[in-house]
Amino acid sequence: MKKRLPGIIFCMVLIFILALLTGCTGAGKEKSTFTFATWAAGEELKEFDAIIEKVNREAGGQYQVEVLSIPSDYYVKLATYIAANKTPDFFWLTQELISKYAQLGAIADLTEMFEDSKGLTPDQYYPGVLRSATYNGRFYGLPWIANPLVVYYNKDLFAAAGVAYPPATGGWTWDELIETAKALTRTEQDDYGNNYQQYGCIVDGWPNIETFIWAGGGDIIAENGVDILLDSEETIQGLTILHKILNAGITPPYREVGSLGSNNVWFEKQRVAMFMGGIQDNFEVKISKLPEKEQFRIGYAPMPVGLDGKAHSFNWTASTVMSRKLAKKQTAYEVMEKITLEFFKWKIASPISGEVERIVEIAPAKEPALETIQICLNNARSANYVPEWNEINHNLWLKLYNAMLNEGDFDYKSQVKAIAEEARKLIANRK
Amino acid sequence: MKKSQIGFLFILPWLLGLIIFTVFPIIAALYISMTDWSIIGQETFIGFRNFGNIFSDPAFYKALLVTMRYAVLAIPLTIIMALLVALSVNNQYKGIGIFRTIFYMPSIVSGVAVAIVFKWILDPSYGALNSLLRIFGITGPNWLYDSAWVLPSYLIMAVWGASGGLYIYLAALKDIPKELYEAATIDGAGWRQKIRYVTLPMLTPILFYNLVIGLIGAFRKFTDAYVLGGAGEEGVFYMVYLYRQAFSFYKMGYATALAWILFVIILGLTLIINYTKKYWVYSERK
Amino acid sequence: MALRGIKGETVRKALLYTFYLLGTVLMLLPFFWMISTAFKPDSQIFTMPVKWLPSSLYWDNFKRAFQVIPIVKYMLNTVSIAVLKIGGEVFVSALVAYGFARFDFKGKNIFFLILLATMMLPYEVTMIPTFIMWSHLGLSDSYVPLVLPAYFGAASFIFFLRMYFSTFPASIEESMVMDGASYFLIFYKLILPLGKPALLTIGLWAFLGTWNDLLGQLIYINDPAKYTIQLGLASFSNMTGETLWGPLMAASFMALLPVIFILLFAQRYFVEGIKMAGIKG
Repeated sequence: MKKRLPGIIFCMVLIFILALLTGCTGAGKEKSTFTFATWAAGEELKEFDAIIEKVNREAGGQYQVEVLSIPSDYYVKLATYIAANKTPDFFWLTQELISKYAQLGAIADLTEMFEDSKGLTPDQYYPGVLRSATYNGRFYGLPWIANPLVVYYNKDLFAAAGVAYPPATGGWTWDELIETAKALTRTEQDDYGNNYQQYGCIVDGWPNIETFIWAGGGDIIAENGVDILLDSEETIQGLTILHKILNAGITPPYREVGSLGSNNVWFEKQRVAMFMGGIQDNFEVKISKLPEKEQFRIGYAPMPVGLDGKAHSFNWTASTVMSRKLAKKQTAYEVMEKITLEFFKWKIASPISGEVERIVEIAPAKEPALETIQICLNNARSANYVPEWNEINHNLWLKLYNAMLNEGDFDYKSQVKAIAEEARKLIANRK
Repeated sequence: MKKSQIGFLFILPWLLGLIIFTVFPIIAALYISMTDWSIIGQETFIGFRNFGNIFSDPAFYKALLVTMRYAVLAIPLTIIMALLVALSVNNQYKGIGIFRTIFYMPSIVSGVAVAIVFKWILDPSYGALNSLLRIFGITGPNWLYDSAWVLPSYLIMAVWGASGGLYIYLAALKDIPKELYEAATIDGAGWRQKIRYVTLPMLTPILFYNLVIGLIGAFRKFTDAYVLGGAGEEGVFYMVYLYRQAFSFYKMGYATALAWILFVIILGLTLIINYTKKYWVYSERK
Repeated sequence: MALRGIKGETVRKALLYTFYLLGTVLMLLPFFWMISTAFKPDSQIFTMPVKWLPSSLYWDNFKRAFQVIPIVKYMLNTVSIAVLKIGGEVFVSALVAYGFARFDFKGKNIFFLILLATMMLPYEVTMIPTFIMWSHLGLSDSYVPLVLPAYFGAASFIFFLRMYFSTFPASIEESMVMDGASYFLIFYKLILPLGKPALLTIGLWAFLGTWNDLLGQLIYINDPAKYTIQLGLASFSNMTGETLWGPLMAASFMALLPVIFILLFAQRYFVEGIKMAGIKG
């Protein structure tokens, strides 16, 4: 018994030293090495890695790009790295955060390099997409994806209800969408003889509140990034459209949406006839994998025209951005531009106008949708993001949209005024 | 060497760890709470302004209320549940090992997994719980979608996961000397008296431990609340509120000040419990 | 007192077994759902009404799970972190707890309060300063920050063991002290064996802590070759919230197996109790 003690202590010390040693590997970074942080993980990461490998091969040893994958809590780790002065040289940033990161000086102003570039210039982008990568009129990121909203609809359910398809080239209004949805909201019977409710469309926090506010011709923040338009007449009219949809019985009750996991499943299971989703959504592939009698034909329509006469299509974009601390920005910019150009061939859809055909190379099943997708891309827009966006948006969700979903008679008109006042205070405190 | 010096030697490793790994982050956190640090930008020293802003923020009081209400109910509930389960499996019946393992299983899964599973269990229309209630002809509530039922939903989750202390209670029950029960029987005590006068007093050290740990856990409740939320502000627990301030709004200074307020609350309550300890916690050592 | 006598014992047994079975259903329901989902094709995962069982065992989710992440490798990585830290963490925690439980020295109560206090400040706000510290040491991209602090004890384990050790009768050390044994020897030869159930319990907690930790591992591990199981499981969801449910549940189920195995194997040791021949009387 007594002899075992030194042995145990020795083992523990050994393990301790071992632990120290394992940490000392992987040091030493060459100067022409760039780190690229991405939220791609799992299978998406393999595709991302392949792109970076290709770029590295073509670089012929002049530089090397290394991948830093963050599989969860992307912004927590990213921020931690920036705080520790280990900012990745390039990283992805969602459109909502460009202004925040730019204001706080974490990312580089790319304006001159972008405008002088021969490979990729600002005027190649869809204007509504590019705007999301700006702050105070300067460019801070290269958008690498455009994913505007389109209305997917179930042609079979339309036919069964005897309802005419929405126009593939657009021009229908929100009232028409509501009327169409009403006609498609019917009691159906499943294979076991049980009745179930089929709904016209689905609104459960998605589409986001911007979509409805724009439908009324309103907005959250003005283009100048200072004025709050939340309590404008137009915004309230837009919220009234949302209120109408939620109370017309044409969308599943909010508390029921979760029973199918998420809103898109309602469309896939033919429980709702129309779904407002990003053009990237791969319903076509998912439905082709279903048993034959559960399959259906998909149609496409652009978003309805709002009260301001425009068919706003909320667009989600992410950008490649550059650390502001990086030296030799011009060289780095060229690398970053090269990689971003590769992303265009990877994701739906390329944010560059005139490249809509590429979608078919990535997803052949999208072919019938091209005409509609092009319209959506032309109408693509995002909100006017400001550094305070996340806070304002969180209030809009928690205190307005969520409440409207939970209570049919919620007084959204006074609530939005209160949120507008809070937002004004937030912006007044901006440094 | 004096006995007291030897005692100090025994705690020395922890003390060293404290100095090496903990002191710097804590001092940093003190400083951060007095700045407007955004994590990704430069900070400015602003004194106690964060604390002033917190105390004038209604969302702070709401989050604190949500958390306190939960703590007040969840801590005793989980302790009683764990104790009951432990008493019920404290025997040598056939297959008892399997049942013990099964009752312990909720505490081996991560918070995220628990949250995902409970999203399904508490689903108002097709969730397991309401389906079960329907068998008995009861229409279940809308759980997380109904502001009145958010707190009960989280209490159900807490009770489900209460068995984390199972083995501690079991071990402690085993350690109660048989003679004590025998003596009680001779004195004519029934099972209720035995539990009241023998079992519970002998378990008080563990109850004390679980009370303090439960307190810290309840006030720092985060993962499942963050994943699941709940109707409006009813699902915004203190740590969820703090986390958003830090990592979605990039107000780390504000969030750190929130953390210190939480720290003071937990510490205060722990001190109170610790003060009452001598009146109810049994100890063999004088 | 109706439950006395042989008849009473039978009734009691029947009641308890009913309770066990009911408890089993409630406790295992979520696990049942996980396993059932692991064997369902996408089209059967979310249905109305709920499909409790897959119509046939669908193994593709498991195949797919292995394609997404190298599950076995990630599990081994996690085990290696656990192995590197658990021994030290348990041993040192016991050492410190012994000091707190059975000695009196100046400032003991203050030190113990500090120990408790270290558990009260949320990790979320000390995480970044801690990371910065490791980063300055050049160790932030390694297992070291996940392992090394364990060798200085863990506050909650110390708290638990202190409580446990202080329930030992005051007399147990006396004979060894009389024999002239050092306190370290007493700790090693008497307290550790006596505390085995408690040590195993915190050993299990330490393992579960490592097995289920996401944030800590996420911050400190960059190289996918060094990923742990939780980082792997996180890879089944993407930024837009789309999750590969079937493969994720298949992988989660596989990740659970080692833990259940350990639990089944070790559970009888947890409840051994401390009373051993020769200590009392």
